[in-house]
Amino acid sequence: MKEEKKQKKKEPKTTTPSVSPPQAFLVHLVCGLGLAAPLWVAHNLFSLTLVSDPSSTLRLIWVVKTVVMILVYSSFRQNPEQCSYSRAVGRGILALPVGALVSALGAMALGAPVGSQYLAKTINWSLFMSSLTVICARGFCIWLIMDRLATDICTYQVRPNGALEYMICIPAHGAIIGGWLGAWPMPLDWERPWQEWPICVTYGAIMGYLVSTIASFGFVVAHRRHRLKGD
Amino acid sequence: MGLTCHKLTLLTLGALTIQILGLSLFVLGFFPVKPALSGVSGPESFQAPGCDSFENSSDSVSQDLPPHRLKSLYQELSGIPPLFDRLILMVIDGLPAEFVLGKDGQPPRKDLMEAMPYTQSLLSKGNAIGYHAKAAPPTVTMPRLKAMVSGAIGGFLDVAFNFNTQALLDDNLLGQLFRIGWKMVMLGDETWLKLFPGLFMRHDGVSSFYVGSPLAFDVKDTVQVDQNVSRHLDEELSRDDWNLLILHYLGLDHVGHIGGRNSFLMIPKLMEMDEVVKTIHLNALQSQENGRQTLLVVVSDHGMTENGNHGGSSYEETDSLALFIGLKNGMSNYASTAHYSVNQVDIAPTLALLLGVPVPKNNVGVVISKTFGSLKDEKWLRVLELNAWQLLRLVQAQLPGLSCGSFPCDGSTIDLGSRSEECNGSPEKVLCCLYRNAALLHSAWKSIKVSRSTSGNDYSNTVAAYYQFMETASEWLSRRVTDVCISFSTSIDFTIGNDYFALQKPVGLLAFGVVAMVLSCLVLLGLLNCISGEVCPGRWCLDDAFILGTVMILVMSMGSSSMVEEEQYIWHFFLSTSYLLLLRRTVQSLPAGSVLSSFKLFKRQKERSDFRVLSIFLLLIAGRILRGWHQGGVNWTHLPDISKWLEQAGNDTVRSIQVASGILVICLGLFALVLFGSRRNIIQMVGFCLLNCGLLVLWHIVEYQGNAIASSSSGATLLAQRIYVILGITSGGIVLALPWFITDGMKSSNSRRVDSQNNFVLLPFRDSSYVIGLAYVLCWCLLQLLLQQPINSVPIFLLLIQILAILLLFSSCGLQFKEWVEVALLYYMGMAGHFALGNSNTLATVDVAGAFIGLSSHSTLLSGILMFIITYASPMLFLLSMVMYVSVKSTAYLAAEKNADSGHLLKVMLGLPCLVPLGLNSILLTAYTIVLLLMRNHLFVWSVFSPKYLYVCAASVCTYIGVLAVAATEVYAYFILVLRRKISVSVSNGVG
Repeated sequence: MKEEKKQKKKEPKTTTPSVSPPQAFLVHLVCGLGLAAPLWVAHNLFSLTLVSDPSSTLRLIWVVKTVVMILVYSSFRQNPEQCSYSRAVGRGILALPVGALVSALGAMALGAPVGSQYLAKTINWSLFMSSLTVICARGFCIWLIMDRLATDICTYQVRPNGALEYMICIPAHGAIIGGWLGAWPMPLDWERPWQEWPICVTYGAIMGYLVSTIASFGFVVAHRRHRLKGD
Repeated sequence: MGLTCHKLTLLTLGALTIQILGLSLFVLGFFPVKPALSGVSGPESFQAPGCDSFENSSDSVSQDLPPHRLKSLYQELSGIPPLFDRLILMVIDGLPAEFVLGKDGQPPRKDLMEAMPYTQSLLSKGNAIGYHAKAAPPTVTMPRLKAMVSGAIGGFLDVAFNFNTQALLDDNLLGQLFRIGWKMVMLGDETWLKLFPGLFMRHDGVSSFYVGSPLAFDVKDTVQVDQNVSRHLDEELSRDDWNLLILHYLGLDHVGHIGGRNSFLMIPKLMEMDEVVKTIHLNALQSQENGRQTLLVVVSDHGMTENGNHGGSSYEETDSLALFIGLKNGMSNYASTAHYSVNQVDIAPTLALLLGVPVPKNNVGVVISKTFGSLKDEKWLRVLELNAWQLLRLVQAQLPGLSCGSFPCDGSTIDLGSRSEECNGSPEKVLCCLYRNAALLHSAWKSIKVSRSTSGNDYSNTVAAYYQFMETASEWLSRRVTDVCISFSTSIDFTIGNDYFALQKPVGLLAFGVVAMVLSCLVLLGLLNCISGEVCPGRWCLDDAFILGTVMILVMSMGSSSMVEEEQYIWHFFLSTSYLLLLRRTVQSLPAGSVLSSFKLFKRQKERSDFRVLSIFLLLIAGRILRGWHQGGVNWTHLPDISKWLEQAGNDTVRSIQVASGILVICLGLFALVLFGSRRNIIQMVGFCLLNCGLLVLWHIVEYQGNAIASSSSGATLLAQRIYVILGITSGGIVLALPWFITDGMKSSNSRRVDSQNNFVLLPFRDSSYVIGLAYVLCWCLLQLLLQQPINSVPIFLLLIQILAILLLFSSCGLQFKEWVEVALLYYMGMAGHFALGNSNTLATVDVAGAFIGLSSHSTLLSGILMFIITYASPMLFLLSMVMYVSVKSTAYLAAEKNADSGHLLKVMLGLPCLVPLGLNSILLTAYTIVLLLMRNHLFVWSVFSPKYLYVCAASVCTYIGVLAVAATEVYAYFILVLRRKISVSVSNGVG
């Protein structure tokens, strides 16, 4: 899918907020919990799993995840003086349907089934993907696909440069790549229930998200050390 | 520095020659040609092998004797009187045995039971015995018919010749019956007439090609085809001059192809078949009173999957029926017979022995025990003995030098001292030992019988011993024919020195073939690397890596049988991912602010970036529709898709869509031509010719297609032939004439100062190759509109849109893709389109119906070519579009190459568009060859991997032809232009 490596180089802004490793760990922990908690709740309280009822489970996940992500990431604003907390929250909420539209179109282009019986699943899945990818970027005023457009509006840098960028971009990319890889078992004839759309794509995205969260934490630590050495 | 043009051409041609050589060697080595014994079984088959008094003179004996003498000779030698003197063989194409006999001991579904009341009553009363006759893959009609009448299992390549129905020259049941003077009548599928030319006294053949095509979604066609068989049935039954009547009903297969197993037409069709069985049986009972012993055998050649396809090796497809009606044994109730399972090849020896002729020479079947229920013990053992001798002869032919001890030839008993022994060891020892056991027990039983101390135990032991030998031998023989793994593994043993009978040939052939292919692949890749380094130097980026990764993952996925079955998903997934990557790249390369403006109001229409984004969206949308058009593959074919939905909407909808997409193709093509420059006379001429062709094709669609009766009429054939000729003349004429007449229209309009001599050639070259390419693409599309199924006309239009969109994208200067990435993308699009047109990696999806459009007589070569054109429509289309691609790209060289010589220019322009498809194809071919070799012991080697290999081979041929056409066209155009330039220069010099 759209792999978003920002390639345009720009001078890093001086106002980039720095993130310390414990802070980053906390953020990642909260985000990870924001993903794990609804899964656990769905399984244990409502006895829902992704396989048995993908739509409802996905809905639960994206609602919780969106709330967590927007609240957490809105506190990391690039220029706090330009973008107030409430404004960042508002932008995050606005970005959710846009990101969902983009991921739904992308998934359909890649071969997701189109049909009335898949409508609810696709909508919930795309909102879920949007909550994983766009929201975290949105608090930062970056739109996923039209990063240049975002640059026009917000005039922020587009190449992952500081610790915060790593923290934001890597999990989003990981989720997309994970979802892309997760689609691979779908055509196989194993006749498992989880091969249905969008279950294994969701699993892939969650896996990719978690793995890249850990990776991004590693980057943050490495970045910190690098800067300390540099100093 | 780099290679010269000559060297490059020579090296490429050399590599290709090696590749073709290696491929043909590998195919010869891997696909075993059926090891058939020539000649026919004669009187010698009634004597034990090794002591035949007829051995030397068998041919002359059987040839010289008049039929009735031969018949009595057989009867005398065999000692068994023929049980029947008339046989009615009723073949119901595609009937799964499950419909009649149920599955796993369970009776069939209630509605199926009720659909065939008479047959079911015969079964329950014990008047009929039914068997699940397991058919060997490939489950296609002709190989199965051959198996039934000759008892032999054909090799894999027989499928390829299924459409090329040729006379069956090997020993077979019909030939044997003909030799003893039987008179034969055939009603039904024409395949029989082609298999057995001249054997039938009377026949009324129906062809399955037109009526059975997916073209005909008309209820009438499944009915008409069987009425054509039944219309003479009463007449034939009332006659008394035939011995063998063959009825081949195709309707049920057609019902399956149209609506699957649960089609609403299935029950009426089964009822119709039941009526036929009833008619025949009642008639047979009547004639029995007149002293004619008639046997009715109802068989099906293969089963069908849930959605009515066949060709593979699933239980549903191989579960065919063998139903014997009229055997004189009052035994058996329904429950006990319902789940007997035999092999389809067992029908041949059973019928041969029932009718008193020798078992066909290459038979690997085993006589079906219950069918001889009325015979005495002694006769039954004799039947088993005859079958065992025949099998032993075949084993001995496979293993020269095998002799299983000597037995007295006069049938006298041997001493009772020899005892049966445990059999183990190498296959030949086991076979020998089993045979010896059976023979010993038999002779022991005979001697006991002589001494009148009969014992039931000895008899059943003998029967069991015979069966043990025959089943082992049959299994061993059929494995030997169908499995290369046996010959391959034994031939490896041979090199170690273990196995004396192994074939050395395959290993050498296979090894040489693989090495040659690897070598040519390496040479091509080396050349590719060389050229691409020269033409498009630059850093590696994500797109390049992705394109290479696609090849790697494709190669890896080929090792999994389910990935091979569902290959269309991989192509589409990769292709749309690369479109998305293109989109990302395009958006990134836009100047800041332009995305916003393009999404606002499209105010800046002149901006090239706008249509770049738009053309990518066009590619994405067209690609998605193409993916949804045919579900494709094997496992999920039954899921709904656009083509099924349209077909349900009815014939008229499909036809109107076909006409509409025909008009759209013509309009789009002419639009692309007009955009190029409408004011020039030559362009107008070309446009007029293409329009003419298009209108002819439209005429054919409107007038004849969509209606099975009209589409096979002579008017349709004539028109189609004319269209072939006119399309050929148009495209050929444009290619030959255009470089001579193209004017430098761009010279005046192009403000750029043309300062080098090359540009006088390059500008018209660019123009002419654009027009030629467009003419190629358009002619090919029109041909496909004529040949493809009506439902595929929209995909053809979408493919044309994709071609134009991607060329538009590549023509813009802003995007700096590497050229090989672009060519590879075009190749991938061709492959994705191949699956979008409904093709898959099973042989069942080859469109046979289209291959007979415009052919007035059956010609294997011509229909083969048409079938190839239909199947490889999309890869060829994209290869032909390379001509346009070269033209689009040659603008870039105008600036870059100021004073290069012709060779260098041609190399730069043509090198990559020709080498990339060849290189990619050689990677896939070589990798798949190795995969096939590794998978030779896989369960699905014949049903999944081998058909895929045939497709890969055909795709290679397609690539060779396409690249050759592109290269030849461009070189021709270029040199004609150079010649023109020289002439004009010399003329002007002369004037000066």
